[in-house]
Amino acid sequence: METAALLVVLVIALALFFDFTNGFHDTANAMATPIATGALKPKVAVLLAALLNLAGAFLSTEVAKTISGGIIYEDQISSSLFPAIIFAGLIGAITWNMLTWLLGLPSSSSHALFGGLIGATIVGVGAMAIDFSVVFSKVVLPAVIAPLTAGIIAFTATKLAYVITRRYDGRPDGRDGFRVGQIFTSSLVALAHGTNDAQKTMGVITLLLIAVGWQTSPEPQLWVIFACAITIALGTYTGGWRIIRTLGKGLTEVKPAQGFSAEASTAATILSSSALGFALSTTQVASGSVIGSGLGRRGSKVRWRTVGRIVIGWLLTLPASGAVGALAALIVVWLGGWGIAIDAVLAVAVIVGLFLRSRRNEINSANAMSEVADSGKAVKVTRNPPPTRRQRAIQRRQEREQSRQEKGASK
Amino acid sequence: MNLTINWISFVEVFVAAMLASVVVVGFYALGLRLLVRAGRAPVVGPAEFTDAIAVITDKQRARAAKAAAKAARKSPLTDGQKRFALVCAYASFAVCGLAVLGGLLLILFNH
Repeated sequence: METAALLVVLVIALALFFDFTNGFHDTANAMATPIATGALKPKVAVLLAALLNLAGAFLSTEVAKTISGGIIYEDQISSSLFPAIIFAGLIGAITWNMLTWLLGLPSSSSHALFGGLIGATIVGVGAMAIDFSVVFSKVVLPAVIAPLTAGIIAFTATKLAYVITRRYDGRPDGRDGFRVGQIFTSSLVALAHGTNDAQKTMGVITLLLIAVGWQTSPEPQLWVIFACAITIALGTYTGGWRIIRTLGKGLTEVKPAQGFSAEASTAATILSSSALGFALSTTQVASGSVIGSGLGRRGSKVRWRTVGRIVIGWLLTLPASGAVGALAALIVVWLGGWGIAIDAVLAVAVIVGLFLRSRRNEINSANAMSEVADSGKAVKVTRNPPPTRRQRAIQRRQEREQSRQEKGASK
Repeated sequence: MNLTINWISFVEVFVAAMLASVVVVGFYALGLRLLVRAGRAPVVGPAEFTDAIAVITDKQRARAAKAAAKAARKSPLTDGQKRFALVCAYASFAVCGLAVLGGLLLILFNH
């Protein structure tokens, strides 16, 4: 009994560590654009992101319920095996998260978590313990649809912002004011991140508590909500300091109006999805918005090669973290209690090794920049966009007047 | 495997997110446009920090402020019209804020 309790405590600690890496990994997603466009000082941006992640975690528990009450049939797994399975799944997720963070590969913390849990469950128990219907409808489909949705919305919002503020007389258009607006929209993205991402860890801890018989309802307990909220906020704050130096460099082309629209659509998509219990990747939604808003500017073109690289990174996350989770589960299945100990030692070694390696490397755009910033490069925007129909008409009128004046002067 | 997908919920997410974004971005942009009309074009300098990118320099900011002041002086609108535009601008910003607040309350209420 004591060993089981110890294992549960160990798994909760590991889940909270995942929550910390999630905040650490995703700080830039919320705050990349306001820093790039000069709307906020990095110090203020990161503190604001941390506080709003904390607040967001208390906003809803629908995503937590999706994870704790749907993806895995906990009644088909013995309570003695279940903590070890979750432990293995979390090791898969954390290892993949740290590895992609170090290598600067586009990835999603959420999909790493799902991949790790699914891979570990399949190997440790069998495919029948997974509800693939819920996995498909609440994880896989939203993963495909949400970035597209965010992209379409950001495209429309950016067009709207530019059309409303466009001036044809060359006088100030007031678009500078979007920089102030970005303080609010980026805050909303941070809030949305807390609402969706903190809940994933809440869901995992709740699932564990249900499986060992310490809880019956899929609703997360208050201490779980507090623990996850505080941990993701701490991760966000800590992560920010590392990425701060190079945060904005991938987003040189993002104008304040575009950044404002992208963030508004990211926040709206994540918040409305969270309310319906869809477990989204905030990285993917924010990337979709940045690409969509880039296309909303005149004279922009998609760099399909960059888009392809980002999408391949996303597609790899689920199977890769699943493979690591499956491997960790295999060791547990073969060696029992010793397997858990070996997994723990291996995980600590991998995490410490990756962390030390990251400290040796210089912080640059390849290893510290957010994936969202990377997606800013997926759209090529020309410096001198082609004129709008009305601008062309004005140009023609001016040319006609000029030629008329020249004719008058020659007579 | 019994695959039941609630497609309506995806449509709900799309419509809600589109509506929220269009209202927030549209009214904020309208507010800025009206501020310009009221002769108060916002000129916001970038926050000062060493490593990130400065979008506009101090020199550019001063030039933009000068252009905004010149445009405001040349505005053909009367003082009353300018005041009305300013009130409408603040009303637009208020609509934005209320839309965000309403959305958050809706999530809390549903929860």
